[in-house]
Amino acid sequence: MLEAIQLHKRYHQGEIDVVAVDHFSFRFPAGLTAIVGPSGSGKTTLLNLLAGFDVPTEGEVRLDGTVLSRLPEDARSEVRLKQMGFVFQQWNLVPTLTALENVAFPMMLAGMGQRERQARAAALLESVGMRGRAHHLPNKLSGGEQQRVAIARSLALNPPILFADEPTGNLDSASGAKVVELLTLQAQEGRTVILVTHDLELARRAERILHLKDGRLLKVEERAAFAGSQIAVDA
Amino acid sequence: MLALVYRNLRARPVRSILTLLGIVVSTASMVLFLSFGEGLRRALGAELSSVGPAILVLPEGAQAISPGYPELGPETVRQLEGLAGELGITRVTPYVVLTRGGFDPQSTFIFQGLPDGTSPKILYPNLAVSQGALTPSPKGAVVGSRVAERSNLTLGKTLRLSPRISLVVEGILKPAGGFTDSVIYVPASAIHAGLDTQNYTSIAVSIREGGKAEDVARAIQARIPGVSAQTAGDVLRFAERAVRISDLVRFGISLVALVVGGLLVANTVMMSVYERIREFGLMRALGAKRGFIFGLVLLEALLLGLVGGLLGLGLGGLASAAVNWYTVREVGLALSAVTFRLSLFAMLVAVVLGLLAGFLPARTASRIPVVEALGRI
Repeated sequence: MLEAIQLHKRYHQGEIDVVAVDHFSFRFPAGLTAIVGPSGSGKTTLLNLLAGFDVPTEGEVRLDGTVLSRLPEDARSEVRLKQMGFVFQQWNLVPTLTALENVAFPMMLAGMGQRERQARAAALLESVGMRGRAHHLPNKLSGGEQQRVAIARSLALNPPILFADEPTGNLDSASGAKVVELLTLQAQEGRTVILVTHDLELARRAERILHLKDGRLLKVEERAAFAGSQIAVDA
Repeated sequence: MLALVYRNLRARPVRSILTLLGIVVSTASMVLFLSFGEGLRRALGAELSSVGPAILVLPEGAQAISPGYPELGPETVRQLEGLAGELGITRVTPYVVLTRGGFDPQSTFIFQGLPDGTSPKILYPNLAVSQGALTPSPKGAVVGSRVAERSNLTLGKTLRLSPRISLVVEGILKPAGGFTDSVIYVPASAIHAGLDTQNYTSIAVSIREGGKAEDVARAIQARIPGVSAQTAGDVLRFAERAVRISDLVRFGISLVALVVGGLLVANTVMMSVYERIREFGLMRALGAKRGFIFGLVLLEALLLGLVGGLLGLGLGGLASAAVNWYTVREVGLALSAVTFRLSLFAMLVAVVLGLLAGFLPARTASRIPVVEALGRI
C-alpha cells in the first residue's frame, strides 16, 4: 500500500521559501483516487513525491513498508519500473519508437526477452483498442490514441499502482471518455489508480476525492458523499 | 538499446551525416598522414633487401639514405681491398651518385656511376635487362624501366650528363619494383669527368658467406679513419628512427583534425541530449536507471565514432592508393601503405574519440533530475 506521512516539500525561489506540499498524510487504498485542486495547489508536486520523481523536504512516502523517499535514485527507478505505471498529460511516448515498442519499453528495461515482450505489448495494445496502430510512431497517432498507448504501457509489468496526471487534459470528450473508462477498469481490477486532475466531472468517476489547496489536504470525500451531487472546488 | 540509438540517429539524418563526415574526414586524413610512414618503412625494407652487398662504406657523418657530394678517395678503395683477405671481404664496389634536375620528379635524373665494366647487378641482384646490355660500356648507359618510360628513353638515344659528356643508351632494364627502376647506371669515369674528381659517394662491400656484417663493419671503421661502415640493419635502424620522428610530427598534425572531429561529435551529441531532455526524463520516470541513459548517449557517440572510423579508414585507403598511383608513376616507389596495424590504430583512435566526445553529454543526460527533465516543476 502507498502511504504519505507528513509529506512536506519546500522550494527555494531566490530568497523566498515556497511550500508546495504542506504536511500531507494519506493512505492510498486500491481503487481510483482523484486529487483535485486549483492551479498551484501542489497536485503535480504531490504526484512527483508519491512516484519518487522527487524527494520530500520532510516526511516520507512508504510503499509496502519501504520508505521510498529514502531510497537512492536508481533504487527508486527500480520501484517505479516494477510497481508503478504512468500516464501523463503530454510527452507520454518516446518519439522515435513505435506504439508497440513504447509499450514494450518497460519490459525491455526489466530484461524480458524480445519475443515475450512483443507478444505482451501486442496483447496490451489489443486491450486498449490500438492493435491496428501498433507500428505507428507517436507523431502519427492522435492525442487520444497516444494516451491509450500510454495506458497500455503503464500496464506492461502489471504494476499495482497507476499514476495519471491530467490524462484527458488535451483530449476531446470522446477520447477523454475512452481513457477514463480504461483507467476505471484498472481500478476495478484492484489496482491503486491515482488520478490528478482539475476536471471535476472526471474526478466524480473516482471512489474518493482528495481536495488540495496551497499544498494542504483540505478534505477527503468518499463516493457515497459526492455521488449525485455537485462537488465544490475550493478555489 | 542499439535500436533506440539507431532510431535517434536516423531521426536527425542531416545532422548525423554531417557529424559522420567530420569523423570520416579526420580519420581519413590521419590514415593518409600515417600511411606515409608505413609506406616508407615498407619501401626501405624492400630496397635494402634487394641490395646485394652487406656493408656500405660512407664518409664519416654521412647517411646511406641521403648521399652527398663524393668524398671517398680512391685510396679508401685501395685500403678496403687491402683488408679483403683479413676481414673476409669478397668484393669492393665503389660508386658515385649524381643527381640532375630540380624539385619536379619528372625532370630529375639519378645517375649511379659504377667502375668500368661493372654490372649494376653486383649492387642490385634482382635487376634484369629488358632490351640491350645490362653492363654499360665506357660511353654507354643502362636505364631503369621507370625513367626510360617517363623520359621516353630508347636504345641508341643520347643522354647528356654535362655539356662535355654524352652517353648512349645501351640497355633498358625490366621493372624491379623499387628505387632501382628510377636510376640510370653509367660508368663512374663519366661522372668523375663531369664532376672533375676521382672520389666516390659510397663503397659497397660484399663479405664471405656466413661472415658477420656487423663485425666486419666495426673492423673497417677501426682500421680506416674517417669512414663509417653501415650494415643494412644500421640503415634500417636509422630509417626507423627517422620515420618514427616523422610519424610523431604527422600524428601531431592529424591530431588537429581529430580534435575538430571529436568536438563535432561532442557538439552533436550534446545538442541531441538537450533536444531529448524530456525523452530521457520520460525514460527515467518509467524506471530507466541513470546508467541506462548514460549508456544510451555514449553508445550514440561510439556508433558515430565506429562508423565514421570505418568509412574514414576506407577513404584514407583510397587516398593512399591514389598517392601510390602517382608516386609509383613518378619515382617508382609506393610511398604510402595502409597496414593492418595502422588500420587497427585508426579504428582505436576513432572509437576513443567517440567515447571521449560522448562522455560529457552522457554524464549530463544521466544526471538531470527527473522532475526537471519532464518539466514538472
